[in-house]
Amino acid sequence: MLFGKECRRILTSLTFIIYCFVVGLFFVSQYFEECNGDPYIPDEKISEDHDVIMHGAVDDLATEYFANNYTCYPYGFYKTVRLKDKDSKKVRDCLLEISGLTNDEIMEIRDKGEQYYIERGTQNIMYYDIGEMPVSDTITYERFCELMGQVDDILGGGSNYKVEDIVFRYSYVPMTDEEIEGIISDLYDKDGVAGGYARLFSDYMGIVLGIMPVFVTAALVSADRRKRVSDLIYTRKISSFKLVFSRYTALVVMMFIPVILCMIAASIQLIRNFDFSDLALYRMFTLPTFWLLPQIMIITAVAMIVTEVFSSGIAILLQFAWWFHSNMSNGERLSGSIGKFDLICRHNTIYGRDEFLLSRNDFIFNRVFFFIAAIVITALTAYIFELKRGGRFNGFRLFGKDSIFRHKT
Amino acid sequence: MEKKIEIKNVSKFYGRKQALFDIDLTIEQGMFGLLGRNGAGKTTLMKTLAALHKKKSGEITVCGVPIEKAREIRAMTGYLPQDFSMYPSMKTDEALDYLGALSGIPKADRKKKVTSLLRKVNLIEHRHKKVKELSGGMKRRLGIAQALIHDPTVLIVDEPTAGLDPEERIRFRNLLCEVAEERIVILSTHIVGDIEATCENIAIMDEGRILWKGTVDQLLDNARGHIFTSNVEKRFIPQIKKEYIVTGMLSQNDYTTVRIVSDTEPDLPNTVLTEPDIEGAYMYCLHSSGCDVKGGEE
Repeated sequence: MLFGKECRRILTSLTFIIYCFVVGLFFVSQYFEECNGDPYIPDEKISEDHDVIMHGAVDDLATEYFANNYTCYPYGFYKTVRLKDKDSKKVRDCLLEISGLTNDEIMEIRDKGEQYYIERGTQNIMYYDIGEMPVSDTITYERFCELMGQVDDILGGGSNYKVEDIVFRYSYVPMTDEEIEGIISDLYDKDGVAGGYARLFSDYMGIVLGIMPVFVTAALVSADRRKRVSDLIYTRKISSFKLVFSRYTALVVMMFIPVILCMIAASIQLIRNFDFSDLALYRMFTLPTFWLLPQIMIITAVAMIVTEVFSSGIAILLQFAWWFHSNMSNGERLSGSIGKFDLICRHNTIYGRDEFLLSRNDFIFNRVFFFIAAIVITALTAYIFELKRGGRFNGFRLFGKDSIFRHKT
Repeated sequence: MEKKIEIKNVSKFYGRKQALFDIDLTIEQGMFGLLGRNGAGKTTLMKTLAALHKKKSGEITVCGVPIEKAREIRAMTGYLPQDFSMYPSMKTDEALDYLGALSGIPKADRKKKVTSLLRKVNLIEHRHKKVKELSGGMKRRLGIAQALIHDPTVLIVDEPTAGLDPEERIRFRNLLCEVAEERIVILSTHIVGDIEATCENIAIMDEGRILWKGTVDQLLDNARGHIFTSNVEKRFIPQIKKEYIVTGMLSQNDYTTVRIVSDTEPDLPNTVLTEPDIEGAYMYCLHSSGCDVKGGEE
């Protein structure tokens, strides 16, 4: 009864219309366009071969060390790092240990690289064409990772040598024809095609659904205060739990409807592109629901409680920070590993079923955890709402005339 | 169930600032007027009675139910806040229906109630208008309708006529009188005329305290012998306003008839003792309680 009325309120709000538009646009521009036509077939794979990784990384490190010009992406933003002598020597020591070369030998390689540019009249040497650096026979992969970690710390994080990312950056090797056939057959036989596409769909939609629900929620929850309706609502007979949960459920359901429509569109696209008998179409609905619904639920719950306690602006800022951190913490890794507490789970390919299944337990834990946390937070919001309507708590305002930072006489 | 609100020694603080001082009041069925200047503490008391504010000390029972039982209090109380507002994009009937749903009225009853209330407050023809399209008076009438939707025993109406034109104000007052027949209606206002036209029992508040309580007749009796009229030359008016409490002036040619509240007969020409009106009685009450009510010009 009340649920329907709250749904109607959401449906007629401008913020929800914008939400639908952005979610739809993101779906079309990211997923739908990419999946139009025949599936993309990869020709490289992550080998996880330690030799391949170490060779690739040490080549890059030597090149950047010689130029004293390191490219970093702390929190996703491009940054060039130039080290002072003391730090540069620390990087050199790491380079010496990994390569097993002496300082003189390293300098010789650098001079050769410089010569290449000097002969061509270039003064500003940004890149040294040094060919392949050797890797010491005695260094273990564990020690190599340790040194990479030290270099990343010296560079302030977000460098090419971030330990969690070096596998994904430096271990790509060409796939054999058999391997290519294998992943295609996995897509058809094990995933029923739709399973693979469902993962990619969830991956893309997870990005936009990691931020957009906060706007709809903050707008709806703060409407009582903005429209000066709070007292009217507070004096009603309805219990705080019933009201808050009705609003919460309405928000989650309404925000999930556009996602269901996108699932339907994605299913139609699959039917057009593939033989219907190859498709396990239900997977286009089950996996994204399990993947995305808890995400919408937790964002909605957090936005509700923050809006009740502070304000809608704080809720949006906080969610933006969480979304940004979650996006950036994945780094280079867009598939293959899902953390227990990652808000946004990534798997940016229709393939890699086995790789995805390796994180299956963590993924299930993650989504169940957020589902339960969302319910608990909503119950807490109802309790705070009850305190507010009885005049026992007025929330904290960070700005304006009621700011908690203002001196009260 | 006895239709009575009992307020005993109620105090309320906003942080360190005390807003209500040992309020003692008994409100019975019918219209009760709470009169006072802006900032007198009327809204604070109203909100405390509506279980929106928590009192610091004292006791309040509404028809025998302690105010702490908020859910029961909410079920029996209708509240029209001072700055009544509703979601602007909702239609009039939709807004009432929504608030009715929050009051726990079943869908089947709600439809009938919405129609009958809209008819009662004369908004039936505007039922499909959005709230933002209603005039100030219409909004106030919608406010009364929403406060009555769950048929409350107590109706708390905070400054309902502020900003209304005279015609709307009269219409609104009549509406209040109609609904007060079977319930307790507490009308808080700083407009003396509203009280005079509607309430038998009143209380006067200032700075968080009850200065006076009783019937309108008692208030008038209280002021008897202290209201005067004088016919004075216009040029003396500024001086008179400095020295006396002037509640009315009527200019005729070079002379002005001034209505004065005073403990003793003013030393002015053509002064006669007059029957008190409610406005004068209210001013005398404030004055005799030690409030500064002179409107003198510097």
